[in-house]
Amino acid sequence: MNREQTRNAEAGTRNKTDRLLALNVPHRVEVELDANGLPIGMRDAGYEMSRSVETVGEVWRIDDEWWRRPISRRCVEVIFEGGGRVVLFEDLSTGEWWIQKPA
Amino acid sequence: MTLTPHLTSDSAACCWIPLFALRCELARRPELASRPVALLAPDTARTPRVWQVAPLARRAGVKPGMTVSQAIGLCPALKLCEPDPVHYDEQFSQLAAALVTVSPVVEPVELGRVFVGTDGLEGLYGAPEGIVEAIKCGVRSAECGIESESPLINSAPHTPHSALRVGWGIGKFVSWVAATRAKPGEAVIVPVGGEAKFLASQRLAVLPLDPDTHRRLLQLGIKTLGALVALPEEAVVSQFGHAGRRLWRLAAGLVSEPVVGRVVPEPIVAALTFFTPVGERDLLAHALDKLVDRALGDPRRSGWQVQVVRVHAELEHGASWLAEATLKDPSATRERIVAPLKTQLERSPPAGAVERLVVEFTAFAPGTAELQLFARDAGAAARAGRRRALQSAAREIALRIRRPMLYHVIEVQPWSRLPERRYALIDYEP
Repeated sequence: MNREQTRNAEAGTRNKTDRLLALNVPHRVEVELDANGLPIGMRDAGYEMSRSVETVGEVWRIDDEWWRRPISRRCVEVIFEGGGRVVLFEDLSTGEWWIQKPA
Repeated sequence: MTLTPHLTSDSAACCWIPLFALRCELARRPELASRPVALLAPDTARTPRVWQVAPLARRAGVKPGMTVSQAIGLCPALKLCEPDPVHYDEQFSQLAAALVTVSPVVEPVELGRVFVGTDGLEGLYGAPEGIVEAIKCGVRSAECGIESESPLINSAPHTPHSALRVGWGIGKFVSWVAATRAKPGEAVIVPVGGEAKFLASQRLAVLPLDPDTHRRLLQLGIKTLGALVALPEEAVVSQFGHAGRRLWRLAAGLVSEPVVGRVVPEPIVAALTFFTPVGERDLLAHALDKLVDRALGDPRRSGWQVQVVRVHAELEHGASWLAEATLKDPSATRERIVAPLKTQLERSPPAGAVERLVVEFTAFAPGTAELQLFARDAGAAARAGRRRALQSAAREIALRIRRPMLYHVIEVQPWSRLPERRYALIDYEP
C-alpha cells in the first residue's frame, strides 16, 4: 500500500474526512476601478449580483510566503451602497480581484 | 481487541538486512547507487549526524555518528539524504507481513532485524534448510510486490530484501550470531546441539556488551566466546557480577531465549491534513493534543489504556518525521500520552513544514482509569449528560441530512496575515 493509499484508508475508513475546511476563503469577483485604481463597483458572477461601492476605507498590502509561492495582495476595505462591509483585494501576481469578509 | 496469549518458539530464524533504511533509500532512488551516500539520523534535527553510510562513503572515511561537516570534510562528493522513517517503517512492515505468511510467530526487533519462530514448521517445510528457503521465498514475494507497485524499484540488487541474511538456531542469540555470519542472500544454520561449537569461534563483539566490559575482556586476552567459556563461570561472575553470568551462559550456548510473537492489535489512527504546511511547533503541539483526543474517543479504545503511541508527519518535499513513545504506565489520559511526544517534538522537531500529522495508538493494555458507570461528582455527571445530549442531536442530524454536518471551529494560524489561514472547520463527533 503506497502512502496515498494509506492516507485514503486512514482518512476514509477510520476517520472519515479529516481534511480541514478553511474559513473565510476568498471568492473571485470582477471589480470596476476608478482613475486612481480604487473599486467603484463589484460584480459577482457566481451569485449573479452587482454592487456599487459607497465608501472606500483602508487600503493596505500583504506580501507573504515568499519562501514558498509568494503571495502579494493589495487590499481595499469598502462599504457597498445599501450596506455591507467587505474586503476586496487584487492578487498582484495575476491581476484578479477577490472578495473576503473583513477580519 | 481481545487479549491473546503470546506465541513462542524455541527454534528461531533471524532475518537481518543490514543498513535497511539506507537500502530503502537506494531502492527508491537507484541513481544514488553509484555515489557515496549517507543517511542522516532521524532524531537529531538540531545537530544532524550521519546515521547509515554506504560502502563508497565508508571507504572515504565517513562513519556513523559523524557530524555533517566532518563527513563532508572527509568526502566532499558525499550525497547526504534526509531520512524518511515512515517509508522505512512501511517497508519493514511489509517484510514482517511477508514473514507472517511463513510463521505466525514473528518478533520484529529493530529496523531490518526480525526473528521468526520456526517450531512446528518441520511438518510443512521439512528440515531447517527447507524452513529457511520458505522464509527467503516469502521475503522474495514481498519484494516482487514492491517492485510491481513502484516503477522506480526495478533493479534487484538495490532492493532492501536482496541483502537478506538468515541465521537459524535454537534461541534468538544463536540465530542472530548465525545471521551475522551469513553472506547477503544466504543462510547459516546451526544444528541442534552444535551451538557451543559454533559459538566458540565467534568474536567477543557478538555478545551484548557495554564498551567498558568489552575493553576489560580484551585486556584479559579474551577475544572469542570460546576463550570466555574456557574460564570458570564463577570467575567471570566474580569479575562482572550478574551480567557476567549471563554473558558466560550466552557464550556457552546455555541460554536459549524463545521468539515471542506478538499479536498485532488493530491500531487506532487519527490524522490531520493541514491545508497549508505548518512549521510552528506550538501549532503542531496543539494539533497533537487534538489528534490524541480524537484517537482516545474512538469506541475501540474503550476499556483499554494506551501503551505505545506513534506520531508521524509527512513533510514538504516528500520527507517525513516519526516519533514513538512507550508509556511506562499505560494511560488513557491525554496529557500523559502527549507529554513524551511533545518532548520529542521539542528535542528533535521535524526538519520541514508538516503537511499531514498522524497519531497512532499501536499497543494497548487492558483496563481503564476512566469513569465508566458512575459519575464521581456532579460536574462529571453534568458533562456526561451534555455529551449524551450532543450525541443524540448529532445522530438526529445525521439521520435527517444523511451526512455529518457538525464541525468544530479550530484555530490554525490565528496570527496569519491571510484571513483564510486563521481558522478552519474540522469534523465534530461528540
